[in-house]
Amino acid sequence: MTDITMPPPVDELAPEPPPSGPVVWARENLFSSWGNALQTFFFLFISWQILSWLLGKLVAEERNWDAVLTNSRTFFTFNYPLEQFARMWFSLGALIVAVGITLIAFGFEPRVRTSKIVQSTIGLGAAVAVIGVLTPVSGSWRLGLIAVGVAIGVVAWLAGRALPDGQTLPFWSLLVGFAVFVMVLVWIVPWGQNEFLDGEYIDEPGTVNITTKQPWTVMMGLLLGSFFGARALARVVPRRILQLAMIVWWVMGPAFLLFLVLRDPAFDWGYVLAVDIPIALAFGLGGGALLYWLTEPVRGEIARIVGALLLGTAALTWILAFFGVVSMLQKIRLSILFLALFALAAATFAGERSVRLRYAGIWMGFVALTHWLITGINTPSTLDIAAPPFIGGFALTLTIAYYVMLASFPIGALMALARTSTLPIFRILSTTYIEVVRGIPLITVLFFFSIMVPLFLPGEMELSELAAIFIGYTLFSGAYMAENIRGGLQSIRKGQFEAADALGLTTAQRTAFIVLPQALRVSIPNLVGQAIATFKETSLIAIVGGFDLLRVGNQTVASQPAFLGQSLTALFFVSFVYWVFAYSMSRASRSLEEKLGVGSR
Amino acid sequence: MSKVIDAGMSDELAAREDMIVCRGVKKWFGDFQALRGVDLTVKDREVMVVLGPSGSGKSTLIRCINRLEVHQEGDIIVDGVELSNDVRNIDKIRSEVGMVFQQFNLFPHLTVLDNVTLAPIWVRKRPKAEAEATAMQLLERVGIPEQAAKFPGQLSGGQQQRVAIARSLAMEPKIMLFDEPTSALDPEMISEVLDVMKGLAQSGMTMVCVTHEMGFAREVADRIVFMESGDVVEIGTPEHFFTNPTEDRTKLFLSQIL
Ligand SMILES: Nc1ncnc2c1ncn2[C@@H]1O[C@H](COP(=O)(O)OP(=O)(O)O)[C@@H](O)[C@H]1O
Ligand SMILES: [Mg+2]
Repeated sequence: MTDITMPPPVDELAPEPPPSGPVVWARENLFSSWGNALQTFFFLFISWQILSWLLGKLVAEERNWDAVLTNSRTFFTFNYPLEQFARMWFSLGALIVAVGITLIAFGFEPRVRTSKIVQSTIGLGAAVAVIGVLTPVSGSWRLGLIAVGVAIGVVAWLAGRALPDGQTLPFWSLLVGFAVFVMVLVWIVPWGQNEFLDGEYIDEPGTVNITTKQPWTVMMGLLLGSFFGARALARVVPRRILQLAMIVWWVMGPAFLLFLVLRDPAFDWGYVLAVDIPIALAFGLGGGALLYWLTEPVRGEIARIVGALLLGTAALTWILAFFGVVSMLQKIRLSILFLALFALAAATFAGERSVRLRYAGIWMGFVALTHWLITGINTPSTLDIAAPPFIGGFALTLTIAYYVMLASFPIGALMALARTSTLPIFRILSTTYIEVVRGIPLITVLFFFSIMVPLFLPGEMELSELAAIFIGYTLFSGAYMAENIRGGLQSIRKGQFEAADALGLTTAQRTAFIVLPQALRVSIPNLVGQAIATFKETSLIAIVGGFDLLRVGNQTVASQPAFLGQSLTALFFVSFVYWVFAYSMSRASRSLEEKLGVGSR
Repeated sequence: MSKVIDAGMSDELAAREDMIVCRGVKKWFGDFQALRGVDLTVKDREVMVVLGPSGSGKSTLIRCINRLEVHQEGDIIVDGVELSNDVRNIDKIRSEVGMVFQQFNLFPHLTVLDNVTLAPIWVRKRPKAEAEATAMQLLERVGIPEQAAKFPGQLSGGQQQRVAIARSLAMEPKIMLFDEPTSALDPEMISEVLDVMKGLAQSGMTMVCVTHEMGFAREVADRIVFMESGDVVEIGTPEHFFTNPTEDRTKLFLSQIL
């Protein structure tokens, strides 16, 4: 090669970016033509009317916001006994610590652009000012609100100009900011002290009770402590282990907390030790050993034969029980059924020692989980809770939503796979199930399960009302879950199936390692949408007897003598709570999608 | 079924054992007949290149060999095992026949290393450490060991196709099928894939390649097969094909492509 050196190409200057800013934006989007401007004014006018009407309702004479302040505990936990409330705080604390560690374990520490914070703050100021203009309040209030809004906006704007471009804040500063905000709310803002003391309504000025201040301070300490603690931990413990631990916790932990919330120390540990734990141990260890043996590659057909035998046994236990011949705890029957399914799949997942140990380990975890869930949800509370024998309020809403989503997921995945299977019998069964369930309103399903099913059950089978609701709702939700996952399954290209087949993977292996992981990733947006819907529709359990958040607001609070007729006030608050949670879920899903790169592959 | 012109093969090749035997293989898609009775024998360690215009049934033929498509009439015998509906035979053949696709078909949610080790671990039941060591050797052989931890989406087309070859080789197949492995690649990446295939041919792998790379066919192939409309028209050595093809249809096709 000769040594000809070319001069490096010189970059031309990039053209100036076109001017931008709110004025330009408005000119291009809102007032680009006469017609456009007319539309803009029309919709501004309509929004103006609606907003001022709504704000008027919020501050109207007859609104008594003390109804919400006084009942904050009722909204979230209904009539959970006050002297046992430490358990609720413990549970909340455990959840908060888990959130902190999970954020670290999954590397969720996005840096936040200061420009974005400045923008949001300016938006907040503008909103306050607009509220000041629109709300029908006295002149001094109005002026005050406008002044505060403008002040917030101007300060944020000035701060934004002073800050250098492209600056970011670490995620922890947002957490600290949040904690400080909560502390201001409980220690400084003069909400007034309202409560029912021995049936008497007390209303005094000042900040909230010390029994609210202390726990919230501890909670915020836990949030920050767990976040920074987990950060230190992540330097010593490998991330994969932290992630695994947190997944196990999120699947198993809430059941433990529910247990803790509903069982008092006098709980019948004798029964648990004599019956529940031995059964779980027998299935966990015995089944684990069996599966370890069955997954040795030389076993081959034997695993299928054992699985088929177990399946027959499981079917027999139900048939016999139906005729009242053999009585047996429901969870034993279920465990035999599950063990049969695991045995049937054993040949597919056979492999070396570590693979087999993991398979047996997954089984044991599964046994632990199902036995937790069955025991946790199917035994009535031993706490002395009045009337409905369970927790209520938002705690009930959250519990039902969480369990339904957890349990309907495997049902949905199986149904979706069955519906796309090449075996007609699976296809017909799952299609029938899905289409039947999707054609029935949820409320009908709930009625059916809470009232009819207990009547049909043979004598010695018992089902608590909550368990019945839970099962009905799960089966309902599973059908929708199946359709969402099916959408994901259909998006997988044919080449993926062919490549897996060409490598000699069996159908089950192809499904477990290639098809499902990709399909679930694609389905995330839909699954989150469904999770939000499930969360909101839990309000229907009020109709079959549950005291969820909505019913507490609509009925309990509105019938207190001090707040007669305040149901609209309570409903405003209830809507707000639902909105905060649903909106956070959808935001979280969006960042999850970005992280997994959905749609950008 | 028209008459096949078979220009023969070298005595040395003829003396080897049969690896793939197709006898009167017919295949229909609905009413459309894609294969009209294909007779073909691939010898042990032979490299066979399949040529033919688009739609002539080349893909269908090699996809029948590992049963991605099911033929309706005739016999296909792979390494002494007859392809029938017996699931065990299919599994055995699939784990002995590797296939490389035009569109790579890597698993996008798995890293390169996991793509390569998945089948050895779950189908061959290899210990993970052993499978990974083998996979790294294979990635070295195809020239991209440094990409092991990346995801397929982060690689160029040529790199992806080389991973796909390594993924098939990890099952230690006796036969490799290639269905237009370079057709989806940018021109500058074709040679890196062809080089890997040449190396593989030299190592004595039995290969059936559908490809339009005439240089590869001339240099590497033991025999070339020309297909049209579901029929094998002409079979012969590269010299035969490039010096004195017999059939008019073969001549026409070669004149268009060369
Ligand atoms: N799955 C299928 N369904 C219907 N027709 C098909 C299918 N696959 C291939 N064909 C048809 O069979 C013929 C042969 O196809 P193919 O083997 O892919 O040809 P080649 O690979 O030689 O281009 C084509 O006419 C094609 O349209
Ligand atoms: Mg083709």
